[in-house]
Amino acid sequence: MLVAWNYRYRNSPMDHIDPRARFIFSFAVLFSATTTWNPNILFAVFLIAITWYSLGRLTWKDTRLGWFMISIMLFTMIVVNTIITGGGAGGVVPPGGQLVWPDGVLIFGKHLNLGLTVERLWFAVSQLMRILSISLVFIMIPYTMDSRAYGVTFSKLGLPDRLAYTMELSFRFIPTLARNFQVTLDAQRARGFELDAGKGNIIQKIRQVAPLLIPVTMNAIVSSEDIANAMDLRGFGQRKRTWLYQLKFQWWDWAIIAFSILMLATTLLLAYRFDMRLFSVPHWWYGLFN
Amino acid sequence: MQDTHTTGKKKNIWAFGTKQVVYAAIGAALYAVVTWAFNIWQIPGAGNVGIRPAVVIPMFFGIAFGPIVGFITGFVGNILADMLSGYGFWLWWDLGNGVMGLIPGLFSALIYIYNEKKSILLGEVSVVLGVALGMALASVSEMWVSGADINTVIFANFLPAFITNVLWGLVLLPILMVAYAAIVQRSGR
Repeated sequence: MLVAWNYRYRNSPMDHIDPRARFIFSFAVLFSATTTWNPNILFAVFLIAITWYSLGRLTWKDTRLGWFMISIMLFTMIVVNTIITGGGAGGVVPPGGQLVWPDGVLIFGKHLNLGLTVERLWFAVSQLMRILSISLVFIMIPYTMDSRAYGVTFSKLGLPDRLAYTMELSFRFIPTLARNFQVTLDAQRARGFELDAGKGNIIQKIRQVAPLLIPVTMNAIVSSEDIANAMDLRGFGQRKRTWLYQLKFQWWDWAIIAFSILMLATTLLLAYRFDMRLFSVPHWWYGLFN
Repeated sequence: MQDTHTTGKKKNIWAFGTKQVVYAAIGAALYAVVTWAFNIWQIPGAGNVGIRPAVVIPMFFGIAFGPIVGFITGFVGNILADMLSGYGFWLWWDLGNGVMGLIPGLFSALIYIYNEKKSILLGEVSVVLGVALGMALASVSEMWVSGADINTVIFANFLPAFITNVLWGLVLLPILMVAYAAIVQRSGR
């Protein structure tokens, strides 16, 4: 089993943005999008997120697996929970409203009363804009950020050195542990182990994972003793750590940080000072169903 | 066997020295690799939820090495697993996974001999509490993010995640604890 990070250098504008500025921007989008259900603000945040995503110059081939998973999540959240059952909108959309099909619909010769309201349908659009805005800025991170940069990024953002180093170290261990996992799986298979044998009840099926999970976990723990001793011998944690991968702010990074702060402050101001926090349906949307 | 129980020393579960840094890093990487390997098992119809035998790893690392190691194993491990699979960052689910390791970690102060009945029972209690709190935190955050009502959050997010995670934890944690007890005994830790 080979583990490959999804990142590769594309010489895109995103490759030249400091990871600290990128995280600050991404969190500003997250909090801006989740502060309000106002359609105008959500649309503005959505446009900003699309522009940001385009800076990564990611291809469909690069990100299709991630988008496939997000599509499953969006389908459950929006189609099943909001449009079909209505529970996904229950926390925001008040009960009642204008029915999309007041006389019901004919499906396969059967007359059905779906109960879908215009308001709920607009909420599905708002939900789509909100979740896509968040997905657009966060899904691109693994594809556009060098795995060597995570430790130093979080250290420079204020995370204690030991925690930042833990993160850095875990990135380094992944290829080794994936190899160990594959070796153990092969060894157990040679002994007749089958992961999806499909025999027995649910407890027995869960226990079938044990011959794989135990050796991998115990080997990892035993080997970590040696690593800790080697780190101690080299004086780990005795003074402030330096990082091989260096970060340097450019003028555009400061501009992105300033924009992030401005975007979040404006959203908060509009939402709480000008009462634009709650869900509302634009008049033109009702016009589509009359 | 020279364990803290027989020597009478109290465990400092909040220590975060070189060993804990390495255990947390190894735990997070292991959680990511095993989750990634099993990511093909998604629960159909449940929002954001996959079947993950790997959830036992943060719980076990919490029990064995304390709450900080347990939390980092779950939190960072989930971030890494999502990165490997290309899903991006979902901070509230990462935090929920961290709590699944943190709560068993709090119980580690009471656990000295890993293959004792009492220790295993405490471990099982910590699994139920940890999964309940962790998945509740992650699921409730969906109300804030997606605007779902409490019923949807309970039935589409919390219950599928809680039931599967608690089952994996309850069955696999005792097996890992017994295996670890043998290692502790052999190496005299």
